[in-house]
Amino acid sequence: MASRRFSQTGHASLPTIPMSGGIRGTRRVALGFAALLAIAWVVMAFTSQLLRGSGATQATPVMDARVPQGPASASREDATANRPSLLTSALAKMQGTAQSLVGLDSSGLTQRHLSADALQEVLPLLGKAEARLIAIYQLISEGRTREALAKADALVRDHPNFHLAHLVHGDLLSLQTRPVRQLGDVPDTKAEAAASQLAVLRDESSRRLRALTERPPEGSIPTQFLTLSPQSRHAIAIDASRSRLYLFENLASEASSSERERLPRLRLVGDYYISVGLSGIEKTVEGDKRTPLGVYYITSNLNPSNLPDLYGVGALPINYPNALDAQRGKTGSGIWLHGTPSDQFVRAPQASDGCVVLSNPDLERLLSTVQIRTTPVVIAPELHWVKPDALKTDREQFEAALEDWRHAKSRGDLNRLRDFYSVRFQNQGRDLAQWWPRMEDEVRGTGLRELQLKDLSLLRWRDREETMVVTFGEVAAGNTRGMTKRQYWMRERDQWKIFFEGTI
Amino acid sequence: MLGSQMRLMAVALAVLASLSGAPAMAQADEYAEVNRLVRAGQFTEALGKADQYLSAKPRDPQMRFLKGVIQTESGKPSDAIATFSKLTEDYPELPEPYNNLAVLYAGQSQFDKARAALEMAIRTNPSYATAHENLGDVYAKLASQAYSKALQLDAGNAGVAPKLSLIRNLFSTDAKNAQSPTVAAAASPASAPAAAAVVKPLPTPPAAATPTANTDIQNEVQSAVNAWAKAWSSKNMPAYLGAYAAGFTPPGGQSRGAWEADRKARILPRNRIEVNISDLDVKVNGDRATARFRQAYSSDNLNVTSRKSLDLVKSGNRWLILRESTGS
Repeated sequence: MASRRFSQTGHASLPTIPMSGGIRGTRRVALGFAALLAIAWVVMAFTSQLLRGSGATQATPVMDARVPQGPASASREDATANRPSLLTSALAKMQGTAQSLVGLDSSGLTQRHLSADALQEVLPLLGKAEARLIAIYQLISEGRTREALAKADALVRDHPNFHLAHLVHGDLLSLQTRPVRQLGDVPDTKAEAAASQLAVLRDESSRRLRALTERPPEGSIPTQFLTLSPQSRHAIAIDASRSRLYLFENLASEASSSERERLPRLRLVGDYYISVGLSGIEKTVEGDKRTPLGVYYITSNLNPSNLPDLYGVGALPINYPNALDAQRGKTGSGIWLHGTPSDQFVRAPQASDGCVVLSNPDLERLLSTVQIRTTPVVIAPELHWVKPDALKTDREQFEAALEDWRHAKSRGDLNRLRDFYSVRFQNQGRDLAQWWPRMEDEVRGTGLRELQLKDLSLLRWRDREETMVVTFGEVAAGNTRGMTKRQYWMRERDQWKIFFEGTI
Repeated sequence: MLGSQMRLMAVALAVLASLSGAPAMAQADEYAEVNRLVRAGQFTEALGKADQYLSAKPRDPQMRFLKGVIQTESGKPSDAIATFSKLTEDYPELPEPYNNLAVLYAGQSQFDKARAALEMAIRTNPSYATAHENLGDVYAKLASQAYSKALQLDAGNAGVAPKLSLIRNLFSTDAKNAQSPTVAAAASPASAPAAAAVVKPLPTPPAAATPTANTDIQNEVQSAVNAWAKAWSSKNMPAYLGAYAAGFTPPGGQSRGAWEADRKARILPRNRIEVNISDLDVKVNGDRATARFRQAYSSDNLNVTSRKSLDLVKSGNRWLILRESTGS
């Protein structure tokens, strides 16, 4: 491998000319620097040519601290302008992968160049530790490696179990004595001893970087959120392919229910790295170590003092398996959003038994922000981002069906009403015939009164079928309060049908 | 144990003149005597001499520095750390005490502290080559530790501690920086004969001389240097000692006889010695020549690389060593 060209400089062969940055030497030293540099760059250029020529995708050029810091500053500007950095090369590689594997077109994300301004917009959304890591990457890309090292020193001091930060720290320390070719340019012996850990950390790094360059356009939302009730002060959407959790604040107010207000208005307030199940996503059976996909709600907030260390500062269980999962015979339980054990600041992109794992500071943000029962959690293999008004047609089409259902129920038309229920209906083991008497009782009890659906939330889920998770308060005319109901609808041959209904 | 890991580097010290002015010959003798005792392994006596001197001149940086070296060499790292720490407080402008603190911290695997000390040394003297080299080693060690943490490898098998260079004298010979005759040659623990006690400026070349014209002469000098290294490697004492001119100035004010005995005591007991010369650069000036090179010394338990410079004189048909000094 070309890396041998840059084999670590051992003690016995350290050249006279001190290699570390910051030296103000004599002219002789400066000339020595220039010569060293020239050699390094020639070798490097050759190396990248070689790699490109052979079709390898990892033509990761050298990051070299000596360029901006050596006394050979005559070449400084040129070198800076052309310098391929750890960050930029990682980005180039990643962006290629992103487009070929996922395709930005369908995700609705826009590619953003990582300018300083763009970063300043994003950094406040990130977890503090990640923001510090990204700031270090930014400094590296600007060739300010001494500052980057100082920040990395502080980051690993504050988060001694942040393994990716240690890797970057190691690179920045190495950079003081030798060129660094790629993220985690560890000696061969270590790379062999811990090949999988190294691959995982590089993966984590590229996922974090991807989340920065592929941004949801301003004001756009994931397509699942057709309508979100003001009762839901916050909403969570997880993009498993990108290891990201997005936390939204719901700007809808209870005061108005005009059409304009029913457009979901969500403001992105948090953007965190997460881990999913060891075996990936699409949980099906208990013990498959996969994270479920679907639309869920947070059901409770577990007291951390009752939890093993594995779960970190707390846990927010979600309602897996939901009615759709049950319908499909999925098994398993205990899917939580939780923190990390004390010896790991973050976990690998795929690490859990199926839970969604956040670093403890990020989970603390969720714990202090979200409400149980009303906070939806969408877990998608990949999120698709659109402007809210792009969802109008779909929403109106579904709302027409819901309005018909409301009419039928208000009029007490049980025959018409029964048409809305699927033959696949299930509620806690009861099929429609077993459950229907309950509906008859309810309609008789209410009498012929107009029903109002308040605080409506419509969360769409599309996979091989199209389903809708509908939550509303059902209030009969003359009453001030009613029951909160949740229905699961499914499109069956162009007809929306209810396959689950219950109160919450 | 620590001592075996240290290599000698002579030090260019710009602050010498401002600090101590022209040291008196008497002082020079005291320093030389302490140095001699250290080289002979007589640490108790050396420490006694140093303390005696310091009772009269408690602030004297050179002797305090020597005391720190004695404490280091005699296996009292805590005392040595205290001595060098106090020196950094009293003379924050001196890089050497920081450097030696770093050596001691590294010996205790406190690499963060070693790094901080070396960064201070470089801040006080940005062109301080020994500190840069030591810092390079410490960075490499810290990088290795960081990678082990990142990859969750057992830090216990992270390998041996880096070998850092202890500075053995505060004011070493360097004609460029010293404005007065400097004293107390640097001495190496196990390897090289060290710098001469007094710097003799090379005679100014005759106007007509073309210093590097004659490559034949350069080749002669190169052969002489290689033969010297070969004799050293093969422990051929007659050939090794014979490479030094009659006018050779032994370091530390030693007599020729004492110096030869010292060399024999250091060379003969080794099972294996390997001396490799690289980057050899020869400048010839009439019947004088200077050979500068990188010397990689390796023996049973020591691996050191240092810059070395030999001043040679033509004597008959041979080139013989007049002066030997270490450092860049």
